[in-house]
This record gives sequence, C-alpha cells and structure tokens, in this order.
Amino acid sequence: MFRHLFTLIWNKKGQHVLLIIEMVVSFFVLFAVFTLMAFCFNNYRKPMGLTDRDVWIATYNNTMETNDSDSLLTFYETLRRTVATLPHVEGVSYMTSNAPFANSTIQTGTQYRDIKVTGVDIYRTDMHLAKVLGMVVTEGRWFDNTDKASTTQGVVINETLRERLFGNKNAVGEFIGEDYKSEGNKGRGPRVLGVVKDAKFKGDYSTVSPAMFVRADSTDYKWLGSMIVKVAPGSGIAQEGRLYNTLSRTMKGSNIDVQHLTAQRSSINNLALVPLIVSSIVAGFLIINVALGLFGVLWYTINKRRGEIGLRRAIGATGSSVSGQLVAESLILSTFAILIGLFFAMQFPLLHVFDLATGIYLTAILLSVVSVYVLVFLCAIYPGRQAAAIYPAVALHED
Amino acid sequence: MLKNYFKIAIAVLQRRKFFTFLSLFVISFTLMLLTVLASFVNKMFNDNYPDRKRDRSLYINAVTMTGPESMNRSMLSKSLVDDYINKLKTPVSVAISTWASSTNTYLNNKKISLQYKYTNAAYWDVLDYDFTEGKPFSRQQLDNAERVAVISEHLKQEYFGGGEVVGKFITADDIQYRVIGVVKDVAASSQMFFSDMYLPYTVSKKDYRKESGYFGSFRVILLAGRVADVAKMRQEYEHMASKLPITQSGYDKIESKAQDYLHAFLDFGRLGTAGNVYLAIAIFVCLVMFLPAINLVNINITRIMERSSEIGVRKSFGATSWTLTGQFIIENLILTLGGGLLSIPLSLAALALFNYLSLIDHFHLSLNVPVLLLSLLACIVFGLLSGVYPAWRMSRMHVIVALRTAS
Repeated sequence: MFRHLFTLIWNKKGQHVLLIIEMVVSFFVLFAVFTLMAFCFNNYRKPMGLTDRDVWIATYNNTMETNDSDSLLTFYETLRRTVATLPHVEGVSYMTSNAPFANSTIQTGTQYRDIKVTGVDIYRTDMHLAKVLGMVVTEGRWFDNTDKASTTQGVVINETLRERLFGNKNAVGEFIGEDYKSEGNKGRGPRVLGVVKDAKFKGDYSTVSPAMFVRADSTDYKWLGSMIVKVAPGSGIAQEGRLYNTLSRTMKGSNIDVQHLTAQRSSINNLALVPLIVSSIVAGFLIINVALGLFGVLWYTINKRRGEIGLRRAIGATGSSVSGQLVAESLILSTFAILIGLFFAMQFPLLHVFDLATGIYLTAILLSVVSVYVLVFLCAIYPGRQAAAIYPAVALHED
Repeated sequence: MLKNYFKIAIAVLQRRKFFTFLSLFVISFTLMLLTVLASFVNKMFNDNYPDRKRDRSLYINAVTMTGPESMNRSMLSKSLVDDYINKLKTPVSVAISTWASSTNTYLNNKKISLQYKYTNAAYWDVLDYDFTEGKPFSRQQLDNAERVAVISEHLKQEYFGGGEVVGKFITADDIQYRVIGVVKDVAASSQMFFSDMYLPYTVSKKDYRKESGYFGSFRVILLAGRVADVAKMRQEYEHMASKLPITQSGYDKIESKAQDYLHAFLDFGRLGTAGNVYLAIAIFVCLVMFLPAINLVNINITRIMERSSEIGVRKSFGATSWTLTGQFIIENLILTLGGGLLSIPLSLAALALFNYLSLIDHFHLSLNVPVLLLSLLACIVFGLLSGVYPAWRMSRMHVIVALRTAS
C-alpha cells in the first residue's frame, strides 16, 4: 500500500519539490518558536525562590565625601536603623546594584579544588537580605552577627553553584576560590557558610545562573546602591513618600528612586515576553500562509486527478478509501519534509548549540513534528472529502 | 499591449476567485508585516525630533583609554569639555548633556516617576525641541545656577494636569525648580534626548567642576556650521582626542570617536555595529518573504497549468517564450500591486494597534512617504520573486503538450 503511494508520489516528484521546501521551512519556523516557548515555560515552572510582595527597592548613590570606611559603615548602619523604625517597615537590607529584576549584572568566576565555574553572579549584601527577600536557606546558615568579628570571608551560594562545585559532596565549611591551597590564605576564605534555594533574580522566564552572596565589608558600602525594604501589607503612597523623604533628607544630594518589586518583576517579564509574542505572531502568520497554500495546491491537484479517481470508484473503491489515499499521500509528502527538517534540527541538541537543555530541544522537535502533521492533515481532509464525493459516471464522462 | 495584458489579468483573476483571494491574502499580509517593520526601523533611526540638524552634527558618547593590561571606557568630564573641546575651531556650538536619571516625586497621594537630565545652554541651540510653552534657559541663568527646569508635555499633564505652567514650581529629588518651558515629548527610544525634566548642570548636587581627568558623566554633540565641515570637524576632534596627555599610569593610548547619528545611536544602545543590525533585519525580512514567495510560486504554477490551452494557442500562432514570460510577470505584478494596495489599510490597522498598546513611551508609528516607497519596492520585488519561476516554466511548455492537456 505504502509502496504504491510512494511510487505515485515519486512519479510526480517535480511538482512536489516546492511543497516539500515549503513544509521544511515551516518546520524550521515552528522549531525556532517552540524552542523559545519551551525554554520560557521550563523556566517559568521553577519556583521563584524569593518573595516580591510588599517589598520595595530604593536605589541611591553614595554622596558621602569621606573615604574612611568605618564612618561610612556607621552612617549606613544608622540610616538602616532609622528606616527600620518607620512604622510600616518590617526589614531593611543593603545590596549591590544587581538587585532582583534590576537591569544590572555583576559576574565573577570561582573554583573548588580543580573545578572552575565562570559566569557566577556575585551579590554583595548584609545579614538581613535572606529574611527581607524571603529566600530559603537549605543548608548551613545565612550571615549573622558572628561574622562581624570573623577574619574569614563567608559566602552563601545557591543550589546551582553548589551542584557545579560540589556535586553531592559536602559544601558547608569548604573553602572556595583560587587560594584555597596556599597556606597564607587558609582560614581567610571565601568559605561557604550556607546554601540557598535558587532565586530567579532576572524574572520568571529567566534561567538561574550560579550565584554567590558575599557579606559586604565596610569598604563596600561606598558602592552598594540598593536598599531593599520589606513593608507591612497594605502600605501605600503615603508610606512610600515617607520612606522617600527619610532617605533624601539623610542622604543629602543623592539621586533616590523608590520602586515596587512587584512592578519591576512584571516589567522585566513583559520584556522577556516581547520576543516570544512577536515571533509567535510572525510564525502564526507564516503558518496560516502555508496552510492556505497547501490547501489550494491539494485542492487543485485533486481536481486534476478526477479521471483517475473516477476510474478507482468505478472499479469499486469506496469514498473513504479514496479520501484516505489522498490524505495519506499528503502525509507521506510531509514525512519527507519532516525527515529533512529533523536531520538539521537534531544537530542542535547533539552539538549543544546555545547551551540549552537537550529536553527543551526534544520537546520543541516533538511539537514541531506533530504540528506539521496536524497542519497537513487539516489541509488535506477537505479536498479529500470532495474527491470522495465524485461520481464515477460524471468523472469518466468528462474524460 | 499593456492594456490587453491588464484586461487578461483581470479576467483570469475572476476565473478562480478562491485562488485570487489566496494570493491577495498572502501578498497583503506579508506586505503588512514588512510595512510595520519598515516604519519601526524608520522611526528608530530616522526620526529626527529633536535633532533636526543631524546632518551637521557629530555625537560623542565616550572616551576610551587602553593600556597593555587594562581598558577604561566612560563618558566625558566637564573639564575635558572646557579645556579641550570648547577650544576646537570647526564646531560652531557644543552641546553637553548627562544620562537621564530616574527619581520619584510624591504629590497629594500620587506618585510620579520621572527622569531628569542636566544640560548646558548650547544644548538648546544644537537641538530643536518644540516648545509648546515658555523657552529654554539662557547662558545667564545657567551661570547664575538658577533652579529652573524645562519639562516635557507628559510630565506637565501628570504633575499639573494642564493649563499654563510657566512660572509654577515643581519638586524633584526634594528640590524645587521653577518651570520655564514645556517641550513636546521625545520617544523613549531616542535615549540620547529623552527626559521628563531638563535642568542646568550648574544646579546639580554633584559638582561637575570637580570632575578631574577625562572621565565624567557627559555626552557631547558637536555642531558644524555647514555640512561640508563635518568631516573636517571629525578629524579635528579625533586628532585632538588622540593627542590628550595621559596622566594615569598603566595606560598608553587614548581615543574618542565623534560619530554620525546612526553609529552613535547603535553604539549607545550597545546594539553592536550598524552592519550587524542591518544583517539581522535582512535575515528577518528574507524569512518573512521566503515562505509566502514559495507559496505564491506554488499557487501561480497551479494557475498557469489551467491556462495551458491559452498558452498552446498563442505559441502555435508564433508568440515567443519571451513575450509569454513578460506577459505573465506583468500579470503577476498587477496582482501584487493590488495586494499592496490592500496592505495599506491593513498596515494602518496594525500600526494603530501598536500605538494603542504603546509598548514604548511616546513612540508612535505612522505611515509616511519613505515607508510607503519601501513597501512599494518590496511589492515589486515580491511580484518578481513569485512570478519569474512559474513564468519560465510556462514558457517552456511544448505546444503539443499544451494543446493536448487543454482537452
């Protein structure tokens, strides 16, 4: 049966080349869009790892003229306490400009023994951040008051970095960085104090890079620039104005901007969705285009084969076997196209292009294959039904 | 002759209405996509509000110092502008402005987020902002460090709600400024000029006079007296920049580019080089056009096969392949132009939708002459693209075959 259909298709290969090209191209378009979608969806499914409700972020620039780190620290610690005592404030923490959903990234590299990891997000912050952002410590602990006196630099890493550096070995208490071997640096760190759950600092649709949180020392306060404030539920404009005034009166001459983390999150998410929406619209249009073209061409060829179909009906083929044959022919045609497409699409997971997980590519390939089949099936079914309705007498009479 | 072709084309189009609809749909939708893309690119790169003197201007975003081990790239300092750039001979005017910073202001239980930037007085000579009210600050006001502000229409609506606002006061970052002018909004995509408030740099809390060295927070626009002087001005500036004495250790080379608008804009938005951007657009256009073109080729071939009798008859009466090919291409162009006409209302609807969604602040797309011309060009390319191959196939048909299949 199939061999017979193949022969039929093969005899008319010249006419089908264009159709096949069209299907191959639409397969690629679908593959690209589905890859993007699968990537975003896969990230979206993972837990957020931080709370953005009732969290505000104030950005400022340091205007303190002094270079004396102790007086800097005193100034910012006093400011922190002042803000923390405002009636609606539940927690305050400082961090570098790469705050959640901010358009800023600071990266470094680190190593443990011989395992090097690059592209590690580094956040300098204080002992309050985990509580303020609702981050979950899974092993060890976050920074606390005891670190102030310690000569060892403590870091907290996220699960992704823990996985890369330590696999399933013990992480807490280990020294990381380049100098873990040399005697002089032993005991100075950085030393892993704890591990936190991955938090999506770049929005719902982003992947989590390996990350480390470093306790800011007094010299770092010159550069921090973000204050994260956890407020009581129901705080509004009045409270925000109050926070703003407190900050601008204490930090004379600083440029201050208060934003809500929820709003920042939705805007960074919208930004991530724009390419997805645009490519979906374009792809949707191209697919409609292809569908109409296929439909037209199939319809036309079936009309041209009235004689052949009439003959088949005259010697006893049922209507459904005629339409079945036509649909099967179209599906075989699309199988050719899909095989060509698969050959190229499979290179992506094999060669690890774009560093995406293999599962994402495979999902996208599966979805594309199914979509192309469904598309062709839908385009072939109506002309097939029409062909089945041909009366043999009429068709043969025409010839 | 053409009139005949036209008549034949119309007759053929009416023969199979479904196919005609298909072709028109495919063509008009493809052209709509391209038109929207063209107007977007046009707005991004060619919208010359507020810098109408673009052809006479050069833009400087940064100074770069490099050494064997290190590299430092940053905006320009006030002292570099005063000590070197203002002494150049070719520029008739030098505008300086900072990057816009955000802040908020709280007004009877309403929060207004706004952006402000500091400029000098020459900024207003070099750039042609449209003032709906008042005027820019003068050199005198700048020197006196008066707390005056030029604000955007958008901020005026938000803060004052309307009416005459010149002379009223506005608070930002806890400081009161007197409004002296209101300007039409600049699209948020032209980041070099976009802001809600424009303030004299002398009132800034940061003392720019103290910025030592070449690195600071200003970008500069040089204005030449004539278009012919631009090249000379660029040479003069870049020569001056390369000759700056290097005072910091660890660096041995210094350079700063004065670029035309397009390069400065791409460089500024870190979009890469102009070439890359054009390449990305070209790939996208090819992708958008390729599928519909193949589709049309498919549809056209099926339609030609229907006309084999006509072809056979004409060939047997001595029509050459060329004549037939030409006729078919012209017919196809008529069809694509029809689709092009249809695409105009579609594009208008799409642009209206885009503007309604207002994804980018004050960024409104519209159809204008260059965009329409581009679309027309796309139309013709499209018509040729989808007409040539089928026409060639048709002209190769043997007379005998053509006549026989026409039973």
